[in-house]
Amino acid sequence: MAGIWIFAEKREQALELLNIGRRLAAKTGTAVSALLPGNPDAARDYIAHGADEVLLLPPLAADQSCEAYLPVIVEEAKTADPDVFLCAATPRGKELAARIAARLETGLCSSCIALNYDEGGKNLEMERIAYGGAAIQKVTCLTRPVMATIPPRTFEPVTAEAGREGHIRKLPAPPPSRVRVLERKVRTRETRDITEAKVVIAVGRGFEKPEDLALARQLADALGGEIGCTRPISEENHWLPQELCIGLSGIQIKPDLYLGLGVSGQIQHVTGIRNAKVIAAVNKDENAPIFGVADFGIVGDLYDAAPKLLQELKRGS
Amino acid sequence: MDFKLTEEQELIRKNMREFAEKYVDPIAVEIDENSRHPAELFQKLAEGDWLGMPIPVEYGGAGADYLTHVIAVEELSRSCASTGFTVSIHVGIAAMLILLFGNEQQKQKYLIPLAKGQNLGAFVLTEPGAGTDIMAATTTAVLDGNDYVLNGTKTFTSNGPTGGTYLVFAWTDKAAGRKGMSAFIIPRDTPGMKAGEHFNKMGLRSSQTSEMVFKDCRTPRENLLGKEGAGLAMAMTGFDHGRTGIAAQSVGILQAALDESIRYSKERVQFGAPIARQQAISWMIADMATDLAAARFLTYHAAWLKDQQQPFSKEASMAKLFASEAAMRHTIKAVQIQGGYGYCKGAKVERLMRDAKITEIYEGTSEAQRMIISGNVLR
Amino acid sequence: MPTIIACFKWVIDEAYIRRGFSGDLDFSSVDYKISDYDRNAIEEAVRLKGSHGGSVIAMTVGTPEATKGVKDALSRGPDQACFIADADFNKLEPSQTAAILADVIRSRIVNYDLILCGEGSSDLYAQQVGARLAEHLEIPCISFVQKVDIDGGQVVAERRVEEGIEIVAAPLPALVTVLPEINVPRIPGVKDTLTASKKPVMTIRKGDLAPLGGARLQTVGMTAARMDRICEKFGTEAAEITRFVDALRKKAVIS
Ligand SMILES: Cc1cc2nc3c(=O)[nH]c(=O)nc-3n(C[C@H](O)[C@H](O)[C@H](O)COP(=O)(O)OP(=O)(O)OC[C@H]3O[C@@H](n4cnc5c(N)ncnc54)[C@H](O)[C@@H]3O)c2cc1C
Ligand SMILES: Cc1cc2nc3c(=O)[nH]c(=O)nc-3n(C[C@H](O)[C@H](O)[C@H](O)COP(=O)(O)OP(=O)(O)OC[C@H]3O[C@@H](n4cnc5c(N)ncnc54)[C@H](O)[C@@H]3O)c2cc1C
Repeated sequence: MAGIWIFAEKREQALELLNIGRRLAAKTGTAVSALLPGNPDAARDYIAHGADEVLLLPPLAADQSCEAYLPVIVEEAKTADPDVFLCAATPRGKELAARIAARLETGLCSSCIALNYDEGGKNLEMERIAYGGAAIQKVTCLTRPVMATIPPRTFEPVTAEAGREGHIRKLPAPPPSRVRVLERKVRTRETRDITEAKVVIAVGRGFEKPEDLALARQLADALGGEIGCTRPISEENHWLPQELCIGLSGIQIKPDLYLGLGVSGQIQHVTGIRNAKVIAAVNKDENAPIFGVADFGIVGDLYDAAPKLLQELKRGS
Repeated sequence: MDFKLTEEQELIRKNMREFAEKYVDPIAVEIDENSRHPAELFQKLAEGDWLGMPIPVEYGGAGADYLTHVIAVEELSRSCASTGFTVSIHVGIAAMLILLFGNEQQKQKYLIPLAKGQNLGAFVLTEPGAGTDIMAATTTAVLDGNDYVLNGTKTFTSNGPTGGTYLVFAWTDKAAGRKGMSAFIIPRDTPGMKAGEHFNKMGLRSSQTSEMVFKDCRTPRENLLGKEGAGLAMAMTGFDHGRTGIAAQSVGILQAALDESIRYSKERVQFGAPIARQQAISWMIADMATDLAAARFLTYHAAWLKDQQQPFSKEASMAKLFASEAAMRHTIKAVQIQGGYGYCKGAKVERLMRDAKITEIYEGTSEAQRMIISGNVLR
Repeated sequence: MPTIIACFKWVIDEAYIRRGFSGDLDFSSVDYKISDYDRNAIEEAVRLKGSHGGSVIAMTVGTPEATKGVKDALSRGPDQACFIADADFNKLEPSQTAAILADVIRSRIVNYDLILCGEGSSDLYAQQVGARLAEHLEIPCISFVQKVDIDGGQVVAERRVEEGIEIVAAPLPALVTVLPEINVPRIPGVKDTLTASKKPVMTIRKGDLAPLGGARLQTVGMTAARMDRICEKFGTEAAEITRFVDALRKKAVIS
């Protein structure tokens, strides 16, 4: 049953891929197969959400991680010969996709943000961000299967359809991978999802100490918004969890208002806020690139401007 | 003719740019405002061998050519003209003169620490009564046993309050005229030598400038640099190198003014369009870019001549004259382009304009350069 | 003592790319740099050498002009470089780059222990070369690593995954791709740059390699991303703050 294959570590990612998968399958008159790692319980759910076939990947031993599935997936893909293979662009998904592509000797469009068949309906044209966000690259894949990784939350999740039918098939257990997991540190997700927030206050390296983030919090509270950050804040300073990092290697947001505090506005960050309705910023360097991409910018010290803003917001409302 | 820099020169420029963006830009406004010498920054500069670039490796330097040094001074000055100048006078004059004229013992004792950036060098020539007219100097050095004893007051000494190694010029035989001045290497904390408070200046504010007072300051004979009576000639050689450095500093300022002007004029909208679309503005920028290119070529040419071991006195003067006046002319324009915003503290062009002014004054005023150049071409 | 290979790419510095008036990409005044995260890979290789001894080979596939990049890499501490150069190598897609690297490593650097790559290149950020290279060489691959060490015959690494962090081990030889937070890359000193050209460089031409397979991914378009905004600036005086908040209210993005 060739057609469209999807692979995701998590259900919500799978639903987004199923959405694209269904759209592509409808265009080409083929079926959608979803790979389901681990717990098989979700198989029916995937079918309800558009999978025509669910390929179960058996649960792994405690010291094994997703990459162990590589040989099984590759074997199955060689027999089934799908037209398109989409993977969620999570860290493991990205690695797995590249390795599958290498073994299947095919091309892979990484971090694809749009995909459509060309006019003739033959080639799948895929768009991705290049040069840190300065450019949009459009690619086609010349070999089979056409592979792409899709960043989570790029597309809407598909909605369930009553009465859908599909096959469920078990794939064989893989041999153990040479990479063994010694320890897992699960990050507790103490933060809310900011991809849906109406207002996002982004924190940059202009903040001097972690305590000072209170300023941003107060502003967020006053505006009914959430806090996000630049990569150095989450990755270098570890002041905020990494799922709040906005940009090329983080998340894409589309709030009504983005307000950057002490954010320089490097292209890699800015590419994550492209779809904000209004971009505003406070930066003490009037030359900061953020002012070139902001609607409204305050040139000044955030330690001076933020309390004043807070006051003004309280006064006005 | 070969206008191409070597890959090493290009990489060193890039590395200095990165260094300046990382360590200099964030403090440039503050050190200007507070007139503060950023010792922590000089520590970092020393670690990257930036304080001894053209000094041979065996004397603690990096063994680069002079052009490389000039490129680094330019790139540093693009972020902070004060810092660029401090490096220029420290390496280009103080360390360079010891390299060129010092004996082995002096090189071991004074040059190595300078080139490694363990202390800063100063060039102590100007006096309250002797600026352009250096022959009017009155500071004397009298031999007494095995020591020279110095008396007099110097002024406008860069790195005066913060220096570690001072090259001091004094008369050993005033009657001998141009052949009567000698130079001495005097380390910090030598009794009888005292640096005054640093001056509160219009620009170049983080470079520390002060008086140096000599009161029966004894320095052993071994600290005489070169021969007795050769001081003035050595000072002139120092100026050839130093002026090339000031030219580079001016090129850096000019580049920053151009960067600022391009950016601002494309962003600032008046009458419904970026002001860059107005010919009055775009022509200012065209002139700026053209003078920058000319200044840069003159400067690199002077440094290149030095590296070819050819005379470069006249070329150094021309480069300094042209580059410094271009920097002044165009930083005024750069402020003009930014209007009222350019006139306020915090605008980079405001600092550039104040910093540009000094380049027309020190290491020989523009008038002094014209005297040298005309003397040269009318000979 | 380990032999470590650090792969790097000499890329267009995206800061120099301008958007032409008609929305096209203007590459007329671009400069090149070592891809940001590849600097982390080189730095980490040199750091590992510092604690375990051995040697570091910096390796790149690029156009002949990338000699500057080779010197740049060598100024960051590796002992030697391997430069695979051809005028056509600016248009390679990840599958081809990985194949070339694999060919050279297999044929010319027989005994290696660890290969380090950046997490992704700062130009195309496809994040594929490391993983594909590991597949070609049939060695374990550990991606998105924020901490790495060599322990006897194995590599131990902390890698970033969706739910947090996994500490994993794999037998050597292995390939690791590093995140930027693994270290702070040095800014080479003047001496480092001047001595870089004295280090050995093995230059390999296209003709020395197995025939190169065709591209599997084809770029059919590259356009400037648009970002047109109002770009109005405000000060921090009370009146300016009021004007700023009013502007936001007028746009109805806050109540
Ligand atoms: C391949 C790649 C992917 C990347 N992905 C991402 C990504 O997804 N997200 C991301 O954010 N980055 C990403 N980056 C990093 C990005 O290039 C920038 O380094 C980063 O966005 C800068 O963060 P920042 O603005 O907080 O810090 P900085 O660039 O250091 O800027 C700090 C700013 O604060 C200002 N400031 C300082 N003090 C004050 C004050 N008191 N008041 C007001 N302003 C002040 C300064 O003027 C400065 O502009 C990526 C880089 C690469 C190469
Ligand atoms: C910030 C700073 C740092 C300095 N650092 C040092 C240092 O490290 N070491 C050091 O020794 N000195 C240093 N100087 C001194 C500097 O070199 C002198 O200021 C300069 O040589 C001019 O001397 P003056 O200020 O006494 O001006 P003057 O010589 O009094 O000149 C005043 C004006 O008259 C003009 N003039 C003078 N004579 C003539 C003439 N014959 N024909 C036409 N015009 C003439 C000058 O060009 C100038 O315009 C520094 C000065 C400053 C401001």
